[in-house]
Amino acid sequence: SGVLCCSLPNPRNVHFESINMKNVLHWSAPEGIGHGVLYKVKYLVYGVGKWIRKPECRNINRTWCDLSSETSDYEEQYYASVKAFLNGMCSDWIETTRFNPLTDSKESSSCSQIYRRKKNLLFYVFQWWFSISNNTLVVPWLEPGTAYCVSAQIRVTTPLLHSGFSKEYCIATLKDKTA
Amino acid sequence: TAGNRIFHFGQCRVSMSMTEIRLGFTAIKANIQARDPIRTLSILSHPHSLHKVKSSDRCCITHHLFNFYVDKVFKHCKTEDSYINRKISSIANSFLSMKRKLRQCHEQNKCMCEEESTEKFKQILANYEGLNVTSAAMKSLGELDILLDWME
Repeated sequence: SGVLCCSLPNPRNVHFESINMKNVLHWSAPEGIGHGVLYKVKYLVYGVGKWIRKPECRNINRTWCDLSSETSDYEEQYYASVKAFLNGMCSDWIETTRFNPLTDSKESSSCSQIYRRKKNLLFYVFQWWFSISNNTLVVPWLEPGTAYCVSAQIRVTTPLLHSGFSKEYCIATLKDKTA
Repeated sequence: TAGNRIFHFGQCRVSMSMTEIRLGFTAIKANIQARDPIRTLSILSHPHSLHKVKSSDRCCITHHLFNFYVDKVFKHCKTEDSYINRKISSIANSFLSMKRKLRQCHEQNKCMCEEESTEKFKQILANYEGLNVTSAAMKSLGELDILLDWME
């Protein structure tokens, strides 16, 4: 059988991108290589003896692979590795650094802070800061005819982590007809 | 200290701050773990995970691990990089402080070692002694987040 000659340049920047525990392996194509490159992916639980192939990421031409279900145990840490193939040639296996899903995962955002924006004068009155544990928040005392904007942030206490604030969403309350 | 929290290790309650250790380790994690080429062995997490330790054994295991890191790990982790060495020293000093706090529980008999925790720690020592000292110390240092995650 044809022996693969591993002289293809290596995939670059092989790393995990993890947001809200969705752990996706990303990499860049080998330097100076155009189309037609295919990739294989494998992963390993740190401290356990063997690499495991990811069938859904075998002979793929994209440069990412979702390993969320394979790296979901936050009591474990992981490595992943990518190999490139083109015209009977291949690269070396190129690994990530050690991935800790507990501390290496960023959170997107969901904790609220409300501004108030009045008429055309754009000023933010930083009014309320709510800490909620589910994803609904009721704010009873709002003024009629006023626009309110909501921006959210995730905060985790163990370990101490917080995300950036989300994009702002604004809504205006109805005008008071009695006034 | 900023970020002080009460940690419960069975009956033992200790006020400690992990913030400095976390920051120090995060600063050197990639460098230290890159010096450990052995993917298929772990000092702390295999074959038995720290997360399977019973609550009553937490204090004993933690006490053993603080001693382990101070006596067998930090002193064997000299690198050619002064920045890394300074961070390691800072972490080591934080461990010394935590070790002293935990000793109080030991003296008050709130840190009893049962058979399971003793066996668990023996396994960790066996993993450590299965490698040469420098490799074992560097690997243990690279696994500090496993200990911190478990403690927190």
